[in-house]
Amino acid sequence: MALKLDPRTKLFMIFIVSAVVMMSATTPLLWAVRITMTMIPILLLIAEKHYAAALRFIVLYSAALLISFKFLSENSKGFLSAFLVGYCSIIVQFMPAVITAWYVVRTTKIGEFVSAMQKMHVPDGITISLAVVMRFFPTIKEEYSSIRDAMKMRGIMFGGGNVTDVVEYRMIPLLFSCVNIGDELSAAAVTRGLGGKVKRTSVQELKMGGADYMLILMFTAALVFFVVFKYMK
Amino acid sequence: MTDTIVEIKNVTHKYKGAAGNTLDGVSLSIKRGETLLLCGASGSGKTSVIRLINGLIPHYYQGTMTGEVTVNGLDISKTQLYELAGVVGTVFQNPRSQFFSVDTDGEIVFGPENIGLSPEEIRSRKEEIVGQMNLDKLLDRSLFELSGGEKQRIACASVAALLPEIILLDEPSSNLDMDSMKMLHDIVREWKRQGKTVIVSEHRLWYLKDLADRVICMENGAIVREWTGREFADLSGTETKNFKLRPVNINEHYLALLSEKEKEGSIDQHFSDGIRLKDFYFSYHRKPYILRKREFTAADVDSLSLCIPELDIPKGKVTAVIGSNGTGKSTFLRCLCGLENDCTGVIASDGKEYRKKHRIGFSYMVMQDVNHQLFTDSVEKEVLLSMKDKDVNRCHEILNTLGLLEFKDKHPMALSGGQKQRVAIASAIAAGAELLLFDEPTSGLDYAHMEKVGELLHGLAESGGTVLVSTHDPEFVEECCDCTLRIKNGRVVSFEESR
Repeated sequence: MALKLDPRTKLFMIFIVSAVVMMSATTPLLWAVRITMTMIPILLLIAEKHYAAALRFIVLYSAALLISFKFLSENSKGFLSAFLVGYCSIIVQFMPAVITAWYVVRTTKIGEFVSAMQKMHVPDGITISLAVVMRFFPTIKEEYSSIRDAMKMRGIMFGGGNVTDVVEYRMIPLLFSCVNIGDELSAAAVTRGLGGKVKRTSVQELKMGGADYMLILMFTAALVFFVVFKYMK
Repeated sequence: MTDTIVEIKNVTHKYKGAAGNTLDGVSLSIKRGETLLLCGASGSGKTSVIRLINGLIPHYYQGTMTGEVTVNGLDISKTQLYELAGVVGTVFQNPRSQFFSVDTDGEIVFGPENIGLSPEEIRSRKEEIVGQMNLDKLLDRSLFELSGGEKQRIACASVAALLPEIILLDEPSSNLDMDSMKMLHDIVREWKRQGKTVIVSEHRLWYLKDLADRVICMENGAIVREWTGREFADLSGTETKNFKLRPVNINEHYLALLSEKEKEGSIDQHFSDGIRLKDFYFSYHRKPYILRKREFTAADVDSLSLCIPELDIPKGKVTAVIGSNGTGKSTFLRCLCGLENDCTGVIASDGKEYRKKHRIGFSYMVMQDVNHQLFTDSVEKEVLLSMKDKDVNRCHEILNTLGLLEFKDKHPMALSGGQKQRVAIASAIAAGAELLLFDEPTSGLDYAHMEKVGELLHGLAESGGTVLVSTHDPEFVEECCDCTLRIKNGRVVSFEESR
């Protein structure tokens, strides 16, 4: 059974998690809250059948946690431990936001997203631009991989050659094709009525379910908890 | 209600920054329910006529325009684009850039959502369209995983969902194989039956000959000839050639050859001097591995996307690689030129063997979208980039043979499509490639350009290169290919010498 969350809940989750990762956990209690918050999007990923991604995130996050708690302390010395401290703390600190964002991007359809934005009375201009950005990611990926193939065939690779040249070779064709695609895309969209004065409708009917309210409640509680214990006490 | 639905009166148009007029005193009236075919060379103004009717000229593409366009009683110059959305629908050439959504369902309902229909209405329209066009299998899929033909079907559905009176198709078949063209033909026939006005701008003419009521031929921005559908269907090869059009009537042999239903052919190879391919096995669905990648072998037959134990390619000839969309033509070419590292396979030529990475130097692919292959800021640099010894004299020699020497200091992106293609070929020659691969080089080209590509490939073959070209154009195979190699599900099913 797949758990379908409302896009508004997902946006709210991103918002809260981003706020929480900016506050460092100092007591074991706060750590517990933080880890729970990381586990929720991972569980949601499993519910949406993204097993491989969930596994990858879990392994990475727990490895970083383990290393930074078990093997490193304030008086670790040497290059390796300095490197590890930096690396692991970045992962432990910011991974929750990355996981949540990944979950939201992967599981939200553009239609749902647009509909959610409309329900929140965000102006169409902003909604449409964001939707186009979301639509463009796979396009850029496709274009980029063809360009990489072309470079491979010409024997242009990193290493040996001039790095700025190689970056330029990648960027010029990519920019050209993205600009062209963007131009044709907007022409196609306006012939189908985008940008009219009529209020846009949406077939995606969104309804907040029990799971939505529960998650919103949990995440709000977590935020309040963090703020109270860190700054009020 | 008048009988005339589109009225173009003496329109002259020039794009902003362009040298000449794109349209020169064009007048055209189109009757309700008519199926009109627009043909003519690239740059003759077909697309501009389409843009006049859907309002992209003058509202989206800037330029100067005189004359009047009336569509369904609306004066286009005073009508906003979104007001036209329910009246005129357009299917564009490039499926890659006309989709707004990333999923099929979202795409079909995109138009109706824009014009503010109620959700119930949109859902019932969607169901109706899906039923009419048999799209059940395509629902709830990502648009990025569909084949070209499937994408074009979704594009047609998303236009039809707005229930427009007039449907415009701008070179819709450019990237389609024969079976998808048949499907497109059937969609147009259904629209015609429903009494819609259909206007198609197209280079590939044969598949529409039984549908067009009237055919307009354009040249340099003016209408030069008009045929009734019946006259058009009987045009001979020499007549179409005079108007620089692709043929209307194509040799049945080649039509049958390229359509998938053709009975299994045979593989007869009677030449001694060839490039030999051995053990080409490859799969996109590799089993997960932990430490060591296992090489693909003939034993994995069921899971292989490409399975060619042995094949000879004649040297110094042009061989067409045919087969429907998604059947492994591109995979074959990609493996041949070494882009798929995991592909086993050895190319043997003149007693030398090339495997893995070394295949890259031996063979070179000119991609369908040449824009991806041009990296530098001048044509000369582009060719030098491929040379190991940076020999300027040889570079000029190559450019000269391809007629590009005068452009050597120009930016490759500022050239025309055909010139870009030749720059890519020049870099292939400069890289010293013996086996030249072309991935659908003629899609979207008019007759003259198609002929030019044919001559170019012949020239390459005569000067000792071996050319493999994947294509869906029967007219192109007829004109300039020496042999045909048919691929089906990653297997070679037939090899024939055509002349």
